[in-house]
Amino acid sequence: MKKLATRQFGIVSMLAAAGLMVAACGGGVNSTESSAAAPAASTAASAAASEAAPAAAECGDWGVAMHAWVGYTASAQVLTNVAESLGCNITQTTLDEAGVTYDAMEAGSVDVIVEDWGGGRWQEWVDRGAIQEVGSNGNVGLIGMFVPAWMAEEYPDITDGANLNKYADLFKNSESGDKGAWYEGPPGYTTIGEKLIAANDLNYKIISTGSEAALIELFSAAAENKTPALGYFYEPQNFLAKVPLARVNFPANDWTDAEKASGLTDYPETPLQKLATTKLMESGSPFASLLTNFSWTNADQNMVALDIESGMTPEEAAQKWIDANKDKVDAWIAAG
Amino acid sequence: MSQAASEAGTASLLERAKGLLRRRGILIVLVLLAWIALGAVLKGVNTLALPTSENTPFTSVLREAAASIRGNRTESPAFVYFFNPIRAFVESFIELIRAVISLPSGDDIIPAVGWLGVVAIIGFVVFATSTWRTSLLAMGMLLLCGVLGMWTFTMDTLAMTLGAVVLSLAIGLPLGVWAGLSDRVLAFLRPGLDLAQILPTLVYLAPLALFFLIGTAAATIATMIYSIPIAIRITSHAIRSLNAGPIEAATSMGSTRWQLLTKVQLPMAKRTIALGVNQTMMAALSFVVIAALIGAPGLGKPVVEALIIRDVGDGVVAGLAVVFLAIMLDRATTAAVVRTGNFVHESGSARIRRRVGLGAAFTGAMVAVVLSRYELWAAVFPEQLIIGESVSSATSAAAEWITTNLYFLTTGFREVVTVGFLNPLESLLSNTPWYVTIIAISLIGALIGGRKAAAIALVLLGLIVLTGLWNDTMVTLAQVLIATVIVMLVGVVVGVLVGRSPRVERIMKPVLDAGQTLPAFVYLVPVLALFGPTRFAAIACGFFYAAPIVVRVVADGVRDVPSSMVEAATAAGSTKMQIITKVQLPASKRSLMLGANQGLIFVLAVVVIGGFVGAGGLGYLVIVGQSKPELQGKSLAAGLAILLLGVVLDRMAQAGAERRREQGSA
Repeated sequence: MKKLATRQFGIVSMLAAAGLMVAACGGGVNSTESSAAAPAASTAASAAASEAAPAAAECGDWGVAMHAWVGYTASAQVLTNVAESLGCNITQTTLDEAGVTYDAMEAGSVDVIVEDWGGGRWQEWVDRGAIQEVGSNGNVGLIGMFVPAWMAEEYPDITDGANLNKYADLFKNSESGDKGAWYEGPPGYTTIGEKLIAANDLNYKIISTGSEAALIELFSAAAENKTPALGYFYEPQNFLAKVPLARVNFPANDWTDAEKASGLTDYPETPLQKLATTKLMESGSPFASLLTNFSWTNADQNMVALDIESGMTPEEAAQKWIDANKDKVDAWIAAG
Repeated sequence: MSQAASEAGTASLLERAKGLLRRRGILIVLVLLAWIALGAVLKGVNTLALPTSENTPFTSVLREAAASIRGNRTESPAFVYFFNPIRAFVESFIELIRAVISLPSGDDIIPAVGWLGVVAIIGFVVFATSTWRTSLLAMGMLLLCGVLGMWTFTMDTLAMTLGAVVLSLAIGLPLGVWAGLSDRVLAFLRPGLDLAQILPTLVYLAPLALFFLIGTAAATIATMIYSIPIAIRITSHAIRSLNAGPIEAATSMGSTRWQLLTKVQLPMAKRTIALGVNQTMMAALSFVVIAALIGAPGLGKPVVEALIIRDVGDGVVAGLAVVFLAIMLDRATTAAVVRTGNFVHESGSARIRRRVGLGAAFTGAMVAVVLSRYELWAAVFPEQLIIGESVSSATSAAAEWITTNLYFLTTGFREVVTVGFLNPLESLLSNTPWYVTIIAISLIGALIGGRKAAAIALVLLGLIVLTGLWNDTMVTLAQVLIATVIVMLVGVVVGVLVGRSPRVERIMKPVLDAGQTLPAFVYLVPVLALFGPTRFAAIACGFFYAAPIVVRVVADGVRDVPSSMVEAATAAGSTKMQIITKVQLPASKRSLMLGANQGLIFVLAVVVIGGFVGAGGLGYLVIVGQSKPELQGKSLAAGLAILLLGVVLDRMAQAGAERRREQGSA
């Protein structure tokens, strides 16, 4: 019995191997585009392809990190579309922000972050030579705590953080118990809610939300049903154009020194950064110069984001903006 | 006559156990009351609450260690000669498999084999190792994945799973055989194997990403570390539980140890080992899905994306593909196990028929492979067949309808559990001074499981205090306990029904089977849609994940109650309800304890993943550290705290079950 089984296993695996050999030796569908594309000889295939289409080989294969907010999607998709029109082969990979993505860049599976909010937490990776700063992408980010517009009308002084305790009862729910519910940004986002609460002696409890979508849902419901809500939000975000929110202001502080800024502080305006792997920046690829030149305004990003949110695929929305803004796109390419 | 004696014995035993239980029950209630009273008086004192952004000395040490590991990645010999080569090897191995079925190389449109070829090869292999029926099922499941529009993701997951399983078995089978032959090896491996059974998947991710970065290699290695212990455990069990007769016979005939192993022990243990392959594969699949968090390609990606952007429809579509793939792998390997165990020789004509069938199937498969390389329709899954988008929007609409129209079922139920049970319990655990809580838990441990359980609880909870994450641990514990109670309530009711009625069992079996093969991660999306980003969402996930195993264990227990006991009670005129509550449940107490133990561990595994969707606690800290380097130490410490908490829960439940057994046999 055992012998029989072994023999049978042997036959099966031999047959399966034969199948794979058949698979490996044909040209078939793959050769309709490039001349020789048997995977077994993939180096030969890509060499042949490089002769056939020099632009593609010049640009190469690159990975763009995708983060989970629609503004980021807009920027990354426009960059991807333009890069692909230059013959680059772009793979998009969804990852959490910062640490995870920096590690992925160091491992070589991702090459570009097109919008990083994290004020320098990549320094360690820069020091190791894995990542380079590529400058601002032209967007300016402003984080804050927001309430729905109807609350600002009904309670005009609520936009002053010092008055929040007066209204804590309004924000109570089953998650926050006897304190007001303070809906914080998702895990990867830059958040200082705890410090704001401690420094201003606020009677609020932090509720983690896990996603941008949860915050959008929170504020949509609050605007629609006129229910109270206090949550983390940020610009650029086209959602603010659809559902107006009022920012709650806290005493500003010196943000340049992280230690000192641990007291009374509010979120500062942040120029959003582009980051790339050293491998990409030193490759001489047109994608590197495209990334260096890529820059657009908050209004540009909102336009694309709005199209995505109203049902277009990111590819369509990005292409629509690219077609309408040929001069800007040409400037990114030409300057290289 | 003997029946009467055993009846009397059981009755007196039950009486004694009941007396003991009552006394112990009163003591437990007293401890609880004291705990609640002290908690009320000392509310908010010494709770060790720590803001997420702050580190403790311990987490700072871990953070420094993590930073130094990261700093050494490029130059330190440990990386240059050990971790990096492993990473490179594993990565190229997986990429090789992906190149065949999922990843087009260079400018290619399709990988080496198109969809039709993959379906045909898998159909042939399953046919060759089991039956044509299973083969059809396997091909059907694969096609469904394609119809959902998830073909490439499915192939990535399949490639990752198969690769991880091959590597896991290459390490796990020899180690398992060795542990099966040598007591010393088993004793050496056992603590690790035991821990691996308790450790939630989420905990593996952060430390492995530290050494193997982010990507296919890290994900595969994490998967292997999760599934190797399963292969070892089952293989060594297979060798150890063999009938001694043939082995003694072979030894007396002068076989060498090698001959004994290869000619006697391994062939005899083959069936159990094959079962181990099945278990290893299912574990690997469930891990590959969650490993998307550290860059694994495949179906986990759309699940994670759907979680982040809360797109219920897309998440459910990806989840369904996971389900289909899981069913395919499970049925195919189970059928192979059954065939392996079939010792009946096929008759000559049957064998010839089978050979002819195999040959035909092989030819068909080859034709399909060739077609899949030359014909576009067979290479790229045809657009016209894909209905993923309509499934997705239909699901989203259904979820929307449920949350708006069945408000009382979703939000209402959530609020009742949260306000009525979760908040008070969480407050008791986390707002009471830590020493009071530790002493109370240890005392309860002593009453349930004896001195040893109490000592373990005391020491391990103390260690949790030292990690600095006591408060977060208590938040997680509250969710775990509530979820376990719900799971036990439902599990016992359904388990009794299933155990008592073969008809109910027939109806429930497919549900339970599917439930047990599903990766935990898949539950998150629909639950998030129904309950929003709340702690209750995590509890609900834990419930759905743990319910099948609890139902099964309870049903087995009820079924195993000697029918003489039930008959005696029926003869004495007991009602159905009386039989259940006075006979069947008390007699299957051990199964109930085992169910509670399993339930606790399963719930813990999922509740921490709930940190991802707003449940806070330890799971949230694990995830926060992934993206915030300054909090990576805390993330690692949170993993450790989850592990400690798991051991405490497991040991207390087990000690309780053991005491029950001792009393039972006394």
